[in-house]
Amino acid sequence: MLRGLLALLGAIAIIFSPTSPVFAFCGFYVAQADAKLFNRASQVVIARDGNRTILTMANDYQGELKDFALVVPVPVVLKQEQVRIGDQNIINRLDAFSAPRLVEYFDENPCDAVVLRAVPAPSSAALESAVANQGNAARLGVTIEEKFSVGEYDILILSAKESDGLETWLTQNGYRIPAGARSLLQPYIRQQMKFFVAKVNLKEFSRSGAQSLRPLMMAFESPKFMLPIRLGMVNANGTQDVIVYLLTPRGQVEVANYRTVKVPSNVTIPVYVKTEFGRFAQAMFQTAYEREGRNVAFLEYAWDMSNCDPCSAEPLTPEELRQAGVFWLDGDRPTHSLAPSRRPVRQPPTSRAYITRLHVRYTRDRFPEDLIFKQTNNNELFQGRYVLQHPFRGTATCEAAKAYQRSLPKRLEREAQTLANLTNWDITTIRRRMNLSSLDAIPFWRRLWR
Amino acid sequence: MPSFFLRDARLPQILFLSLFLVLGVATRDWSLHWELVTLNFLVCLGTQAALSYLTRRPRWNLLSAMVTPLSLSLMLRSHTAWAVALAAFLAIASKFVFSSNGKHWFNPANFGIVLSLLLTQETWISNGQWGTAAGLVLCFAALGGLITRRVGRLDTSVVFLLTYGGLELMRVLWLGWTLDVWLHRMSSGSLWLFAFFMLTDPRSIPNALWARMLWAGAIALSTFALQNFWFVPDALFYALFGMSLVTALVDRQWQAPRFEWQGSVRGAHPVY
Repeated sequence: MLRGLLALLGAIAIIFSPTSPVFAFCGFYVAQADAKLFNRASQVVIARDGNRTILTMANDYQGELKDFALVVPVPVVLKQEQVRIGDQNIINRLDAFSAPRLVEYFDENPCDAVVLRAVPAPSSAALESAVANQGNAARLGVTIEEKFSVGEYDILILSAKESDGLETWLTQNGYRIPAGARSLLQPYIRQQMKFFVAKVNLKEFSRSGAQSLRPLMMAFESPKFMLPIRLGMVNANGTQDVIVYLLTPRGQVEVANYRTVKVPSNVTIPVYVKTEFGRFAQAMFQTAYEREGRNVAFLEYAWDMSNCDPCSAEPLTPEELRQAGVFWLDGDRPTHSLAPSRRPVRQPPTSRAYITRLHVRYTRDRFPEDLIFKQTNNNELFQGRYVLQHPFRGTATCEAAKAYQRSLPKRLEREAQTLANLTNWDITTIRRRMNLSSLDAIPFWRRLWR
Repeated sequence: MPSFFLRDARLPQILFLSLFLVLGVATRDWSLHWELVTLNFLVCLGTQAALSYLTRRPRWNLLSAMVTPLSLSLMLRSHTAWAVALAAFLAIASKFVFSSNGKHWFNPANFGIVLSLLLTQETWISNGQWGTAAGLVLCFAALGGLITRRVGRLDTSVVFLLTYGGLELMRVLWLGWTLDVWLHRMSSGSLWLFAFFMLTDPRSIPNALWARMLWAGAIALSTFALQNFWFVPDALFYALFGMSLVTALVDRQWQAPRFEWQGSVRGAHPVY
């Protein structure tokens, strides 16, 4: 019971770095000093039914693989069978399916890229000696609970009694913790979190034939439905983005301790935006983020996974959903859950999966607390949808066409205003791009005496 | 403020709750349906009138039945008409069914909220709906303070907030979080709305001062425990619901004059 009460859902990783501000969605990466890291919008998939959770972390590590190491706090001790390798394509599919219509800007966002300086990772030998050096670990209050390999990852599960001991252990074993991380480790240790330490086994990696590190999936049971982001903000001054795909049997997921706000949607914008939808989507998100006080979670998509209208990508097949972690599609059979369950709770059979896509841009000052999620009974469908309405440009002489032509400048001006309002772009530039002469530029007498 | 307005605290309460509803819809991203708000009012008033008639109450007290649909609309979300109607009906009916010594055991809106959450899969609480704005907290505290002071129940809100805030502070300090985590938790608009506009219903909470303070402290403690150890996001509502069960017992233990709305008929019949 105590374990259940204190168990904390989610995964956290922090980037270790001695000098520069470091960023990662929720935790530490460890890498060599001269390695270049690009931290794009991080992506997390959480499939959850009751207390059962399958969490997938997309890996956006771009540096040298031999330097990679990751420290992720987890709610319970994970055994080998609870950790799997996920498929990046599935996350890409979820992204494409739930992205604002006609927009897939989250895949490529070099503007948000942050170049990270990293620090030496422990060598394999160091990791081995760490395991061997159990006595020292015990003295520091650090226990190596599990050690196993999954795919290209060599994984240790650590538990700690005090943050000092954990910090010392990590330092002794070749990890360098950024200043300020120790005080952030403490709350998680006190909540009985365990620490998931992963590094890449290069032999296994080359054997897998993968081009980049594959996502890590973890299965566990925990009453707490949250994503700890605080640890990932150690030393970070800039903004970080995380996109969370929450898959549940029914109903939208909201953030319980921050406002959940829908992104602007169903607006008509100038047609020229078609060629720069990515830029538009980013500017619109940034404007909405500023406008809402920089402390809200944005709802970008909420839909039943079985259909879409209009579809930005084909709905995921049941097999793809399973790969994304949806374990309840076969009704009440708990076999698809990777987590061993002592008390299987019988759920009514359902073939449904509901997706909520939340986009959170967070900073240390506006997001002091970890994100706490909550599944609601809200089945409302929502999507970010932007309408391009091409004006009729052919010749027409009827009365209605004249009225239409007369009404057109106003409509186009309205579209320009909408775009300027959504993106904070300069209205004059927008009008120029639309080949729209400003209404203000027309002398007043011409409007009177036309 | 005109004296007639302050004489019956329900009038400013109705005004303020309506203001919050408009404020929420105008400045927050709520999925609220006006037709369901209307339905909520109709069912609440209809149930109040029907049950008052059937139980031969001398007064129908429709004013009280105006507060409930406002609270429900502010705190409970739904897209389903029957679920809204059910919550409204249960809320008002609870006053007639669960009452003793002229008082009802449950805050009607709280009863409707908890029962609809437990019985249906059509309603939910949007805990983060107000966000954590300081201005909003001040607004709830100032307007709520005005009413609770008027009905002599300011102590309940204050004890609740102090106990809950103290417990949260201890937890945050013990875990080693920075104080802004505590400030963030304490500046939730939903918490303050609850503390001033749901917790303090004088018709359903203990009469005696010490009983009330103990009662408010117990709600704060159970909210804290449910939230942090059982991870129940709707802890506030369940805590109040649970403690309401013992109100009657507490009242028997600590005798004090029970609360009457100004202008109510005092005497043999309970006033709803």
